Amino acid sequence: MKSNLYLVFKKEIREMFRDKKSLAMMLIIPFMIPLLVLGMSALFETQMHKDISQYNTIGINYEPTQIEKEIIEKYNINYVYDTKEQLEKKYKNNEINLYITKENNNYTINGVDNEITTLSAALAQNYLTTYKQYLQTEYLTNNQINSSDVINIITINQNITQEQNFFVNYMTVYAFLFIMMAITVSSTYPATDTTAGEKERGTLETLLTFPIKSKDIIIGKFLSVTISSIITGLISLILTIISLFIAKDMFSIYEDANIILSTSSIIYAIITIIAYSFLISGLCIAIASKSKSFKEAQSALTPLTFISLFPSLIAFMVNLDTNIIYALIPFLNYTMIFSDIVNENISILNIALMLLSTITIIIVVLKIIIKQYKSETVLFSN
Amino acid sequence: MLKVKQVDKKFIRITKNGKKEEFYADKNINIEAKPGEIIGILGPNGAGKTTLLRIIAGILEPTNGTVEFDGLNYKENEIEIKKNIAYLSGNTKIYNSLSPYELLKMCCEFYQVNENEIENRIKEVAKVLEMEKFLYNKIEKLSTGQTQRVNIARCLVHNPNYYIFDEATSGLDIISSQIILDFIKQEKQKGKTILYSTHYMEEAENICDKVVMINKGKIIKQATAEEIKKETKTTNLRDAFFSLIGSGTDEK
Repeated sequence: MKSNLYLVFKKEIREMFRDKKSLAMMLIIPFMIPLLVLGMSALFETQMHKDISQYNTIGINYEPTQIEKEIIEKYNINYVYDTKEQLEKKYKNNEINLYITKENNNYTINGVDNEITTLSAALAQNYLTTYKQYLQTEYLTNNQINSSDVINIITINQNITQEQNFFVNYMTVYAFLFIMMAITVSSTYPATDTTAGEKERGTLETLLTFPIKSKDIIIGKFLSVTISSIITGLISLILTIISLFIAKDMFSIYEDANIILSTSSIIYAIITIIAYSFLISGLCIAIASKSKSFKEAQSALTPLTFISLFPSLIAFMVNLDTNIIYALIPFLNYTMIFSDIVNENISILNIALMLLSTITIIIVVLKIIIKQYKSETVLFSN
Repeated sequence: MLKVKQVDKKFIRITKNGKKEEFYADKNINIEAKPGEIIGILGPNGAGKTTLLRIIAGILEPTNGTVEFDGLNYKENEIEIKKNIAYLSGNTKIYNSLSPYELLKMCCEFYQVNENEIENRIKEVAKVLEMEKFLYNKIEKLSTGQTQRVNIARCLVHNPNYYIFDEATSGLDIISSQIILDFIKQEKQKGKTILYSTHYMEEAENICDKVVMINKGKIIKQATAEEIKKETKTTNLRDAFFSLIGSGTDEK
């Protein structure tokens, strides 16, 4: 004899795989991840590598000396000579990216702070610093002083180890956040369909006349939603790894970056995905089973989507490090452990605590729901 | 044997003023049904028939009173009782994405029919209800009558001793209704107990051994059709019902 729990699970899985909407949610949502990873990489690339022609047109209100012309040429600056008033107009009309005005020996870089102006200002600053150094050297030489003794009076060296490329770190951590998002979004539909949906279709009354305990119904439904979430999570993980590989080939921001996850990291990522799938499915089932209709369940589950991502976003913003307390806090722990996995800074203790927290929450939530899941309450609460 | 003892069911409704008000959908219901008996539960819409049958089927809990099947009650033996009953209402829906075969197999498994007997049981039921032609088609593609036959099949497949039919023929064509009525008669012959609710008085008169008339949540008469007609000096149950309402008879 097969157990009723297995039979409910089998029934739910069969229904889920025959329902086009459930299948779509399970299989199509992960395909958003490559689009997000590649799209964000392309955006970073354009931010990082702006073509110089987009910001090198600089106006000046003075005739440059020959040496200035040489420096300007060295920095690839396309200069426009005009009066201050005319330069102001040209700047407003976007004909120039910036303008420099000169009064006696005072040079002023003029512009409004924006992305292009910042790049142009850096170019103008380089030109003026080089010119200033030239004038200092010339002055010292004319006064028979060894210029290098003065200018290089101290030497500054940098010995800062280059950390993981900022963009790579950012993208990989966000890619894992996308996986969590995909799992959350994809688990809400089957959870709603299997509880409030079944009630609305009228088949729940039939199911409740069978000799099955509430415990078996709830756990069977919970496990089927969890399986759907795990499938979404694993497809998302595979697509994330593939899209990061593609991005590495396509975009120069990933140059010299190590985006290959070790086998152990992949295993830990899978464990975290499975744990998160269990938690989110349990919560979705708990919320949806209390709802009177499909619509009400979907409305009730929408805040969960935001709540699940909110702690993760905060953790990124304030740059938190995982510790034993954070490893116990639901939602926050998964993101932080994903971040540790990306940085190959994995703590087995933190993973164990994350699993402990997940199991505790699931047991408590399911116990409450099973206790309240009586046919009269479920079918006729409204 | 089925015994419904002093069953009350109280609900809360919202009044016009938005206030909550308690009311009894069923009050002091007592019914006994022996093996091989068909008990007709008759009454107009809103009389409390569906609530009563849902209590008997274990879907609703009574506010007071008990329901016993062969000495077992729901509080202590819910699973055992449910294995031995079949509940079918006019509103009962079945899983449209399955075929009748898959549904019946699933029901057999839920009712823990011996695995070696499942195939034979399905074939047997499909033959009795003339379902062989559409046994492997999806239920969503079937007609209303065919779907209701599948519904009956799922009640029959585990060979229960008690059947609870709530308006099972409402909305069906004559042929489909007749299949259900024939099925009920056959099961009676096998010694099964059948509770049968309907508002078609003529239908009940034809097949029921005993009639329980309910109005406003209370039993107003419980006897054979002949006895009721004789007592009310009427020729059919419809007139008898109106006579009883008019006379204000209220059997406790």
